[in-house]
Parts: sequence; C-alpha cells; structure tokens
Amino acid sequence: MTAAAARPSVRWRETIARIVMILLLAFVIFGPLANLVLWGFAERWYFPNKLPQEFGLTFWARVFSPRGGALGSLGTSVAIACLTVLLTLSVAIPAGYALARLKLPARTLILLIFLLPQAVPNLPVYVNIARVFYELNLNGTILGVVLVHAAHGLVLAVWIASAAFAAIDVSLEEAARNMGASAWRCWTTVTLPIALPGLIASAIFVFLESLDEFTGTYFVGVPDVTTLPLLMFNASMGGNYQIASITAMLLLLPSIAFMLLVERFLKADVLAMIGR
Amino acid sequence: MNRRSWAGLALASPALAIVAVFFIGPLVMSAVLAVRGKDGGLTTEHFAKAFEYYSTDLAFSAAIVVLSTLGIGIVAIAIAGYLTLGEHPRTLAFLRWLYRWPLFIPFIVTAQVMRTFLAKNGMLNHVLIGSGLIEPLQAQSLLDWRGIVIAFIWKQAPFVTLLLAGAMAAIDRQHIEAARNLGASRLRVLFEIVLPQARRTLLVGLVLSFVAMLSVLSVPMMINPNSPTMLTVDIAYRINSHGDYAVANALCLMSLVLASFGAWFYLREAARKAQA
Amino acid sequence: MRPFRLTLRVALVAAGTLLCKPLPAVAQTTLNVVTAGDQNMVDYVNNYLGPKFEAQNPGVKVRAVGTGPGDAGSQKIYEKLSAQQKAGTAAWDTDVAVVHQRGAATMVKESLLAPYTKEVSAGKMATRDSSRNALGQNVEGYVIPMFHSQIAFAYNPAVVKQPPKSYAELAEWVKKNPKQFGYNGVKGGMSGVGFVMGWVNANAGMGDQLVKGPYDASKKAVIDKSLASLKDFNQYVVMTPGNAGTLDMLNRGEIAMGPVWVDMFYTWVADGKMPPNVKLELPQPGLPGQPMYYVVPAKAANAALAKKFIDFAASPEIQAEGIVKQFNWYPGIDAQYVKAKMDEKSWNKLFTDITPDALASYGKPFPLSEYFTDILESYERVVLK
Repeated sequence: MTAAAARPSVRWRETIARIVMILLLAFVIFGPLANLVLWGFAERWYFPNKLPQEFGLTFWARVFSPRGGALGSLGTSVAIACLTVLLTLSVAIPAGYALARLKLPARTLILLIFLLPQAVPNLPVYVNIARVFYELNLNGTILGVVLVHAAHGLVLAVWIASAAFAAIDVSLEEAARNMGASAWRCWTTVTLPIALPGLIASAIFVFLESLDEFTGTYFVGVPDVTTLPLLMFNASMGGNYQIASITAMLLLLPSIAFMLLVERFLKADVLAMIGR
Repeated sequence: MNRRSWAGLALASPALAIVAVFFIGPLVMSAVLAVRGKDGGLTTEHFAKAFEYYSTDLAFSAAIVVLSTLGIGIVAIAIAGYLTLGEHPRTLAFLRWLYRWPLFIPFIVTAQVMRTFLAKNGMLNHVLIGSGLIEPLQAQSLLDWRGIVIAFIWKQAPFVTLLLAGAMAAIDRQHIEAARNLGASRLRVLFEIVLPQARRTLLVGLVLSFVAMLSVLSVPMMINPNSPTMLTVDIAYRINSHGDYAVANALCLMSLVLASFGAWFYLREAARKAQA
Repeated sequence: MRPFRLTLRVALVAAGTLLCKPLPAVAQTTLNVVTAGDQNMVDYVNNYLGPKFEAQNPGVKVRAVGTGPGDAGSQKIYEKLSAQQKAGTAAWDTDVAVVHQRGAATMVKESLLAPYTKEVSAGKMATRDSSRNALGQNVEGYVIPMFHSQIAFAYNPAVVKQPPKSYAELAEWVKKNPKQFGYNGVKGGMSGVGFVMGWVNANAGMGDQLVKGPYDASKKAVIDKSLASLKDFNQYVVMTPGNAGTLDMLNRGEIAMGPVWVDMFYTWVADGKMPPNVKLELPQPGLPGQPMYYVVPAKAANAALAKKFIDFAASPEIQAEGIVKQFNWYPGIDAQYVKAKMDEKSWNKLFTDITPDALASYGKPFPLSEYFTDILESYERVVLK
C-alpha cells in the first residue's frame, strides 16, 4: 500500500536525478568543446568579459589564406594518414590471419611483441629514431613520419584484424572448401567479406591515430613536415588561441565523421575478442 | 614445425619486422645511450644526474598516472554499468551517444580546450560562479596537476568505457536477470556478477591507458610544464634545450620502468587466467 | 566488397599523387627559410617578407618553416645542419636560417655557417656589439641581426598602483601581493629564462662578468647562492606555461605583472588579446634582450639568392615597415638608418613606456654561453628541488 503511494514521488526523484546526471555529463563533455568554438570565432576577448567582446571571421581568413599553412598541413596530415593505413593494413592483414588461424610458434611471444608499442612509452622510441633518421636522411620526410606512425598503429591493426578473423566461424570456410573453392577464392569470397567490418574499423582507428599524432611528428617531422596537430601546437604555445581553435576544429571534422561511422563496424563480439 | 607454421610465420614477418626495426631497435638504442659514458664505457652518471634533477618529476609522473587510471576506472565502471543495467531507454540511448565524444578528440586538442576551460577565469569557473556554487574569490586555476589528471580522465575514460561496455554486453543476460529476480540491487549485480566477468577487459583498457598516458607530451607541456611536471616534458627539454640525449634516455628508461608496473598487472592476470 | 575496393582505389591514387612530384610550369627556385622562434616569425616571412621578395624576383618562391620557440627551435636547426655536415651532403636544404644567439654561437664554432656580411650592403649598417659577439663567441661576418627584442615587466596599472622598480623591490612586493606575479620558469619560453638571468645579475654581485667574461667555473657556487633566494620567491608567484602563458594570464586578470617580450606584448594588444591599459617597465639593474640572427649555412643550395634575401630583409625600408611598424620589434640594423625611414609617431610608439635611455641603461645582453648553461642547470638543481 505504502509502496504504491510512494512510487510516483520516488519516480520523480529518480527522473530528476537522471536528468541532473545527464546534464552534468553533457556539461563536462561539451563545455570544453564549446569553449573551442567560442575561441574559434572570437576577434577580441579579454578580461573581464565572460564572452568575447567581438566575434568575427578574420582568423578564419588568416588560417585559410594561401600562405596560412593550414590547408597545406591538412593535406600533409591526410596524406600521411592514408599512407599509414595502406602500409599498416597490408602487413597487418596477413599477420592477423596468421595469428587467428594458423599455428604460430611462440604465439604468445609474438602477441607480446605486437603489444609493445602500446605497452611501452613511445617517447624513447621517437627521440632516438629521430637521431637515426637524421643519418639516413629520413628525418623531416613524409616517409619517415609514415614509418613511425605505422609502427605505432600496427598494434591496433594486428589485434583488431586477428580478433576479426578469429570471430569467423571456421565451418563456413570449411563448407566453401568442401564445395570446391580454391584457397584464394575462399579467402576473397568468404573470409575477407566477413572480416571486412572489423578490418575497416581497424583502418579507421589507424587513420585517426595517425591524423591526430603529435609527439612522434614533433621529433621526426619538424621542421619540414608540418601536420595539423603540429600547427595547432605552435599556434597554441604562441598564444594564438583563435588559430589554435580553428585548426583544432579542422582536425576534429574527420574524427567526428568517423565516429558516427565506426559504430556500424565495431560489433560487440569483435570488441570482446580483442586481447584474446 | 610443419608447413602451416612456416606459412604463418612468413605472413606475420613483415609486421614483426616493422615493429622490430622501428620500435624495438630504438628502444635498445635508448638503453645503450643511457648507460654509455663519454669514453664509450658503461656508466651510471646519466642516471645519477637524472635522479638528482628529476626525482620529484618521476614521483609526480607516477602519482598522476596512477590517480588518472583510478579515475578512469571509476568513470568507466559507472557509465558502462549504467549502460548494461540501466532501465530507462531514452536515457540509455542519450548516454550511449554522449559519452563517446571525447574518444575521438586527440590529446593535443584536449590539452588546448582544457587550457582555456580550467583557467582561473575560464569557463568552468564562470559557470560555477554564475550558478552560485562558489564565490568569485574562491575561484582557482586548475592548471596544475589537477588539470593534467582531468584532461587524462576526460580523454581516456570513454575509450575504457567503450571496451568495458562491449565486454559487459557480451555477458549472458540470464545471469543478470536471475540475480535481479532474486531481489539483488543493481549495484550489487554490478559488483558481484557483471564486473568479475568483464574484469579482464577492464584491466586491458586500464593498462593501455596507463601506458599511453606516460607517453603523452602535449598535455603536460600545454597545461603545466613547470616543475613538478611529467617526465615527458623533461625529456623534451633535455633534448631541445641542451642536446643531452644521454640524460634524456636515462629518463626514458625510468619511464619504461614505470610502465612495466602496469604491464606486470596485466601479465599477472593473464597468467592467472591461463592457469584457470 | 564495394567500400573496400573504393577505399583501396582512393588510397592508391592518393599515394600515387603524393609520390610523383608535379612538374613545375615555370622554372622555379625555392628559397628555404628556416626560422626558430614563435609563430610570429614564420608569419613574418610568410605574410610579409616572402610576397615582397617574390614580387621583386620573379621565378623565386620563398618557403618558410618554423622549428619552434626558444633555444629549442635553434637547437633543431643546429641538429639538421650538423647531420648534413656529418653525412657530407653537397648542397644543404636550408638557404637562410634565423636563429638565436646560443644557436648561432655553436654553429659558428662548428663551422656550419658561411661568412657573408661583407658581401651585402646591409652588413655595413649593423655595427652594434651584438652583430659581432654572440654570448661570448666571436661571430663577426657570419650574422646580421634581424631584430632586437627586449624583455620587460608588463603590469596592469589598475591593480599595481606603484610597480616595483627593481628586483629587490619586486621580492618585497610579491610577499605583500602573493600570486599576482607570474613567470614561466626556464622551460617553455625565453621570457622566464630572461627573468632568471636578470635575477642572477641582480643578486650574484658579479657585475659585468656575466656578460663580458671571462668565464670562471668556480662561480657556480656564487650562482647557486643567488638562486637560493629565488626558490623562496617562487612560493609567492604563479608559474605560467610559457611566453604566451604569461601574456594569457595577464589578459585574463589572473596575474597583475609578469616578464614579457616587448614585441609579443604589442602584437597581443594589436590582436585584441590584451587590455590596452597594460603598461611596460624595465626594472633595475636590468632585463636581458636578444637579437635573432640571419645566417647562411656553409653549403646552402642557393647561397647567392640567400644573401640577396638577407640584404633585402635587412634594408632600412623593410626594417622600418616590417620589423618596427608591423611587428613591433626593435630594429636589427643600427637605429639611425631605420629612424630616417619612419614617421616620428610610429617610431615613438616603440618607446611609449620604455624610453631610449631606459633601454640603454637597463636593456642587457644575455650572459656568456657557459654562464647561461650554468644558470639554467643551477636553477634546476637549486630552485626546482
């Protein structure tokens, strides 16, 4: 009796608690991002104003001017990311397949080796590889940066690819072989299409990691290779918040676009198999 | 080893080669440079100097990363737990959409937005003052170790939440239903049924985050580069301002030792599972 | 299969276009200018010097790259040139470099630069001590100053009614006004480094020896002692993230006073990022300033064009319009040549808060390289522990 009478008020309290929690979370997540947008459109903003005194697009013009460097950096960033994905996938797919399906000697050791770039701080690697690249004339080149990005991205690619292949039902492949398909045909018509969503997910992660990569490019790419994160860093350290915010927003566009896409490709069962 | 093993090894070897040359190689170089004296012999003078100058920063880095990892764990368990056990469909859908946003925002952009968000007269304080929660004189700049921890949690918690939610979703619903039918509260179900089964994924996510945070240069450099700061800033400083690769590599090795604590947790868990 | 094939195709095309260099329509020489320093340095070449030079020299494209602020940026340029020297490359890929004094000193010592000032007309117009001496290293003939910049205290007169006029007064002032002064330590920007150098200068009692030499390694103890009081001082101040960090906090009213680069300060005011009422002052006994130098690497690929560029950049007209008027730096070549090309109002803008006399008395060079390193290391050992 009392429970039935108490239910509406309990429900109200629960609803309010829920709403407050969601609002708080939304503020925590979108507050900083809103700040970014504000700075991107601010022309004059100094104390004691809580909002910019003047809004404007002057800094957008500066960023996109032919010598502004932002478009060039964006192009460089995207090119490096694409090349990284190409290189990473071309070696990660065979490796992932081998890990999932074939008997590998010292399988645990190999898995551990692939884990290393994520399990170990990268700074020592970047710092010393820059030195080696100087000797090999690879420092400050796109190839150098791609190699560094690929070495780091391989982890994600191999692990996700291996999980994607492991999630395929072996009986499907066996059925295809029983029906007379050659190994190659089985691969292209059965294995690859089923693993494809997972592979595309790993490609997206590698692409995004490369696009957003800063530390390695800071040591290996400077000064000739300017990616968008480097441009953002320089603008921010130089106190040019408007330009830093605008380039940050540019950088976020592909990230957010892919975020809306990746949900389709990363199913829960693939996620659960990562690390197995 | 039979033919399949050789084939497997051959497929995995290009990926292994990239990791070996562009990751393990420089790591070994790091160790060598850290102990090589001016005359070419072994010496501990670089480590001695590194400890003399940067022991505070070493402790600071460890504390920050541990604190951040704990924070990430708490947030991830809270959000993933609610997603698995929550019962309000609209809230669940909104939450699922909301929490992922920081996932695709790179560390460097995170550092930039936090720089203006957490400042003494930044947006966070404006909102707190405006909503009457604190007095204007009480406003503090959070641009110190707290800013670094906040930035790390903000950026990494969604990633761990994603992994954890995936693992929790893969748990057999029947266990949860049964416990709820028996009258267990949702909190109890979370801690006694769901979490133990998703424990491994949680550990993987936390360890990956732990190690990743030790490598980040942009966040401490942009939020709090002055002592005490994280080791990464000191490494960059040693190289850029003094060209001192020896001490920088000694610091790198110290970083590695810190990271290996995290890896040790994971390996211990993996060994336990292998035994079970 | 479709998204996969499409992705593959797109990726291959991208790789193809990247790896094949496009054929230039017109025979073009690219002049590679690599500059250390804040972003405003790169902007200067990209938005001002570059277009003007290209207009005068058709067929030439000026490409400016920045390596980052502070001595770290110059260090990157040094590493690049040094690597090419060790590898024995015939033609180096940097034609003009703009570096700090410390970097220039090291580069001259290791024969990485070509002497050129006698071959350009601007060389005769730079006769200040800074064009011959970089922190104790003789660099005569190898450098022409691009500009001279000066560190000064910026303060908000609404909050700081009576700004402290010397380091000693400042130390007292911060105790009465805690957390109102901010500087960036020795990492992340030279304004903080300059402040620390000024502190040592004020407290070590070494007089001119810091700047003129000779270097005496036994003075490390004296330096350590002078920095001990700085450790105490730091308790009452805010540490900022860098050059821009100090300006940023001044902008937001989070600090009321701090060391800044004069040119950066004026640029911020012009960009609407600093309240216009903030003023500058030079405390006694002084704060350092430094030039940045135009240098030509020893084996630059386009050496002749590089010298022409520097001659252009150091000419009185460009110094007047670009360096002083647009970017608020003190000129690199001697002041009288530049003043003749400017109207009085613009010239005096440089000296609104800091008079030429104050500049002459309290604007100091940085200490000798060896003392510079000693002070930095001492700061880390004594103050940061």
